[in-house]
Amino acid sequence: MSRSAPDRLGGRAAIAGIGATKFSKDSGRSELKLAVEAVHAALDDAGLTPADVDGMVSFTMDTSPEITVAQAAGIGELSFFSRIHYGGGAACATVQQAAMAVATGIAETVVVYRAFNERSGRRFGSGVTRREPSAEGVALGWALPYGLLTPASWVAMAAQRYLHTYGLDAAEALGPVAVTARKHAANNPNAYFYERPITLAEHAASRWIAEPLRLLDCCQETDGGQALVITSAERARDLRQKPAVITAAAQGAGRAQEQMTSFYRDELTGLPEMGVVARQLWQTSGLAPGEVDVGILYDHFTPFVLMQLEEFGFCGPGEAAAFVREERLPLNTHGGQLGEAYLHGMNGIAEGVRQLRGSSVNQVPDAARVLVTAGTGVPTSGLLLGADG
Amino acid sequence: MSGETLPELRIPVTRKLIVGGAIATRDYQDVHHDAVAAKERGSPDIFMNILTTNGLVGRYVAECLGPGTQVWAVKIRLGVPQYPDDELVFTGEFTPGDDGTGQVSVVGRNRLGAHVTGTVTVVLAEEARE
Amino acid sequence: MSQDDDALHERLKAYEGKSAGEGGRGPDPVNDPMIRHWCEALGHPAPPDGSAPATMLQVWTMAGYNGPTGRSENYLEMFRLLDEAGCTSIVATDCEQEYLRPLRPGDELVYDSVIETVSPRKTTKLGSGHFITTRMELRVGDETVGTHRFRVFKYAPAKARKSSEEAATKAKRPRPVVNRDNAGFWEGVADRKLLFQRCDGCRTARFPWLPGCNSCGSQEWTAEEASGDGTVYSYVVMHHPPFPAFDPPYAVGLIELAEGVRMICNVVGVPYDKVRIGMPVRLEFAEVEDDLVLPVFRAEEAV
Repeated sequence: MSRSAPDRLGGRAAIAGIGATKFSKDSGRSELKLAVEAVHAALDDAGLTPADVDGMVSFTMDTSPEITVAQAAGIGELSFFSRIHYGGGAACATVQQAAMAVATGIAETVVVYRAFNERSGRRFGSGVTRREPSAEGVALGWALPYGLLTPASWVAMAAQRYLHTYGLDAAEALGPVAVTARKHAANNPNAYFYERPITLAEHAASRWIAEPLRLLDCCQETDGGQALVITSAERARDLRQKPAVITAAAQGAGRAQEQMTSFYRDELTGLPEMGVVARQLWQTSGLAPGEVDVGILYDHFTPFVLMQLEEFGFCGPGEAAAFVREERLPLNTHGGQLGEAYLHGMNGIAEGVRQLRGSSVNQVPDAARVLVTAGTGVPTSGLLLGADG
Repeated sequence: MSGETLPELRIPVTRKLIVGGAIATRDYQDVHHDAVAAKERGSPDIFMNILTTNGLVGRYVAECLGPGTQVWAVKIRLGVPQYPDDELVFTGEFTPGDDGTGQVSVVGRNRLGAHVTGTVTVVLAEEARE
Repeated sequence: MSQDDDALHERLKAYEGKSAGEGGRGPDPVNDPMIRHWCEALGHPAPPDGSAPATMLQVWTMAGYNGPTGRSENYLEMFRLLDEAGCTSIVATDCEQEYLRPLRPGDELVYDSVIETVSPRKTTKLGSGHFITTRMELRVGDETVGTHRFRVFKYAPAKARKSSEEAATKAKRPRPVVNRDNAGFWEGVADRKLLFQRCDGCRTARFPWLPGCNSCGSQEWTAEEASGDGTVYSYVVMHHPPFPAFDPPYAVGLIELAEGVRMICNVVGVPYDKVRIGMPVRLEFAEVEDDLVLPVFRAEEAV
């Protein structure tokens, strides 16, 4: 059973630095090199040096171990290192782990990172055709002989049921999510789709990938790296940048949870694991959905953005399509993974920090509270970030 | 995110239009006039050339917004091919900008799906401005 | 992508930024007869001011009946490389034009073009090849009157490729992933039985197979044979990317069995675009490959 009381992590740590490589389709360098570049950029941003770092966190999916990144980045002894599982679901949890280490005094300065050549190297979108007979492999294995092989197809299965249940048309319900992301990306020089907005008609006319998902419902694939520096809120105040305080951080897995194939439970119209995250974030922060200024919601595929809005209580079940169409909350102001880059959700955390610093290309005036979420369809995580003071 | 919906334009696509359009645009690629050659290249029939499609997008905008409309820019992407003995149905949405300018988002569909999608940037003729 | 593809792409990339034709001249000045013929064929209203319709821009640069002229050696070389690699067909995919001023009869166009980008090898429904983007600037005298970005797909037709692929061994479907925890299910399939688990503790029906019950934690269970009746709970129609063992588009269903558990399966006996949520289906077993039997569900309604 998930917690129903506030936790004691809220407000004790902050994100003090953000740094990324260029987001591209072919980085021309190793994943390790990308990780190191991102780590250095984040430390520079914070006004810290590799010598200040004593903790590192990444994803189990990352190919560059903490120790190797440390070795190549000029970082010395580590008293804390950790990796989170479940693909993009790890994103916000890397920050949570770092914050826990900082809050308990196990580490002072923790760098979290994710770097990959996901476009020029191993592309997730190309699908899976073989798995080892481990418990994890068997779970996914039920779908493989029938040709349900790609992330898009696993999301599409739940999306179809969601659209059916609420009587929604795929193009009308999902189009505004894609158009909003690309509108924001069009203003963002770091976005792959800079100056390339799309219309609802273009979304509706884009080719099928896995019905009901069209090409423009699917995020791009990216080479790049993103890193963040986490330290205590107190110390962050003395550093170069305005701190982004970790008001609340949570992980969540639902009952009968699977990785991308949670087809066998409940109604397939929501993301119960994100509900677990939402309850904990609201309880710890004492905030309500109406008090959030910006939502950075994981958008590898458009339908799960709608389900997240409903899980967090921004609107009722089946109402998120109208909520997005009416632009009732600034969403994915960097352009999201649909428009900026697919960095497994880590670039979204950086955008949350920029909003609190007032330096986003699509700045929401006086943004003081930002919700950031991690990978959907998998065990996941989320953050509420706040301006200091 | 929403603009004014423009009227639909239905264009019957005959062999004559595809071949006539190809020649009027000085495009002598065999796939636009020679069905045998088109089949050898893996296409079931001749198909419309992009210059004709581009021109028909221009025609749609001229017919909806008036022939005096100045077209500043056209961006189109082709989807499914346009074969003969079909109908090309244009729909569009006009979003006004400043000083009589505007953007038209256009989709041309046939029975296979979207043949062309794009956006056209225009300046309305004086008499068409409100 | 194969290493050969990479090597070809490297060679093609070398053409990026190179000229595709400099100082090309339109064969004819902008003129009334061509405008009239074009408007007539396309049903386009004639511009009231006597100018050429803007979307006619590219026409003034077309070489016409006697084929391409004014193409640079670079451009021709790149095309020869592609032809040699089997990419002998070409189709236009995108066109972006800007019209800086209307063209009028008498205007004599000159143009330069540059090869902007050459994509890595891509596979589309047409076949496999490379997207080539060129950008052209059109001038009258020293004045730039328009720009034109054009993308073509230069490819080896899919049909020609398929026959060579079919000559090779036919690709196989992904195999079921089997271990000690779910071997009983696949043994059932081999006997043409669809088995799910039922918890001995709380009687909850269970699928997928697991060693214990999520409802009560009991580790005791009994395999039960499903009646074979079910309905489509959800479905996906797979289009892209293509997997050699499947032939897109095809439908994959999430079937809810009469006993209340769900499983992923193919739906047969109905076209991929006629599968619907709520459709009643009935279990069958299909020998989809020589050594692979799978449960499938046949649509019961005549559609």
